[in-house]
Amino acid sequence: MSAPSLTNFIVKRPLLKRWMTPIANWYVDAAGYRKLGLRIDDLVPEESETVQTAIKRLPPKVAYDRIFRIRRAFQCSISHTLLPPAEQTKPHEDVEYLSPIIREIEKENKERADLDNLVVKRR
Amino acid sequence: MLSRSAISRNAPRAFQSAASHRGMASAASGLQYDVSEAAGVKLANREPAGVTGTIALVAKAGSRYQPFPGFSDALELFAFQSTLKRSALRITREVELLGGEFSSTHSRENIVLKTKFLANDLPYFVELLAEVASQTKYPGYELDELVSKLLKLRQVALANNPEAVAVDAAHSLAFHQGLGESITPSAHVPYEKNLSTEAVAEFAKSAYAKSNIALVGSGVSSSELSKWVGDFFKGLPTAGTSGQYQPKSNAASKYYGGEQRISTKAGNAVVIAFPGSGAFGASAYKPAASVLAALLGGEPSIKWTPGFSLLGQATQGFSHIRATTKNYAYSDAGLLTISLSGKAEQVASAGKSAVDVLKKAAAGEISAEDIKKASALAKFRALESAQTLETGLEATGSALINGSKPYQIGEVAQSVDSVTEAQVKDFAKSLLSGKASVASVGDLSQLPYASDLGLTV
Repeated sequence: MSAPSLTNFIVKRPLLKRWMTPIANWYVDAAGYRKLGLRIDDLVPEESETVQTAIKRLPPKVAYDRIFRIRRAFQCSISHTLLPPAEQTKPHEDVEYLSPIIREIEKENKERADLDNLVVKRR
Repeated sequence: MLSRSAISRNAPRAFQSAASHRGMASAASGLQYDVSEAAGVKLANREPAGVTGTIALVAKAGSRYQPFPGFSDALELFAFQSTLKRSALRITREVELLGGEFSSTHSRENIVLKTKFLANDLPYFVELLAEVASQTKYPGYELDELVSKLLKLRQVALANNPEAVAVDAAHSLAFHQGLGESITPSAHVPYEKNLSTEAVAEFAKSAYAKSNIALVGSGVSSSELSKWVGDFFKGLPTAGTSGQYQPKSNAASKYYGGEQRISTKAGNAVVIAFPGSGAFGASAYKPAASVLAALLGGEPSIKWTPGFSLLGQATQGFSHIRATTKNYAYSDAGLLTISLSGKAEQVASAGKSAVDVLKKAAAGEISAEDIKKASALAKFRALESAQTLETGLEATGSALINGSKPYQIGEVAQSVDSVTEAQVKDFAKSLLSGKASVASVGDLSQLPYASDLGLTV
């Protein structure tokens, strides 16, 4: 699911992190999804086994809220409007709720691949 | 090939040895369990140590003690699933690699986690059992994706087995709550409303507390076992927590009796149940019940013959019927059941003959030879069930937890031997004078009522 990123490299170095944080905040805000009331994990492409399983494992309330945000954003997109500032996603609300589950499933899948390592080779 | 003279020479000897009642001491050595305690966990082990070993963790958390329906099933199905240390897949693969096996089952009284392994791997499997008992993760998705699906399949299997439905119904008639709880909740039970992973995790904490479990080993060295148990089982809580989801307290079972009729298309079964004998060592232990169960019988122990048993003889003419008599022994009560299953009209008439033979037994119209055969069979069954691992491990663990005497093979044999003809007759008489529990499952238009059979309920 995840593309290669420099995040870990930067987060480990305090000086670099201090420089990059304001830039990162500006970039995320400029991306505009918060103005539609979405969270970062709402943007994860759903079209894969892993993400589908992860969505099924969400608690009912969280899954409901996710669909609500997506539909609201969709309406905004159709009507070419942005949400009023009070309803836009605040930076402190924009937390990962799906990615931890996705990472767990990816770890399970990797473990399964490692343990079921019998490969049939055609000659 | 045996010559005829060889048989004729040996046959009288067989009769002689059967008649001389050899003491059990010589035969029983090697079958006794050494009882000890390590890290606060009760331990029983049967030596000699061999090349393979078996250990089972018996927890007093069967359907009798579950706080809400389905909890014992869920806890049993959660055994050997993901723990805090490793995933379910890794546990499976590691055990495969070691050539061992694990399984979990539950009965009305106990949950049994059993492992079998090569003798060298003892520490690994003791650690595995301790890990399952104390560190299982109980994540919500395993309940949704695995456990509740397996539970639903189990319900389907149960609903399609009329005899199992009838036995469950007979238990609930006989004992109401407690032992009367069905082993697996039927599909009509609203069990989902209380079943959540947090609840099961809380139930597990008390169910696998040190005071609530016993470890039973066979074929492993006692000193090794107690050493490893002392190492790995330290982390278990000593006693359960208090709360909504702790196992139910041990209310004494009381016998009620009654009649229940359930219609189903799956088949036909009638179960006639009476108060029977408890487990050995319990106050409700009545050896006469096991002799009467063997006498009524139904299924022959030898092929191609109806057998000596009264029910076997009585149902000889019916071609589509299965009759069995069984004594379900529990820690403080027992249930003697006569189950008949097969075609509806044959079940109906076989039910009448079953009650007739019971009346015959109560009137003492049974030949002394049949009673002798029955008591020999009852003795064999009691000893065999102590010797074989499937039943012996759970019986021993259950006896340890409940604080009664562990299975002493010599005493069991003696108590069955001492049953007299008059005792069997009196016991049968007491059954008929008391209340019966009759459960009929299947095509109710053809199956008889208890009053038709001549029983009081």
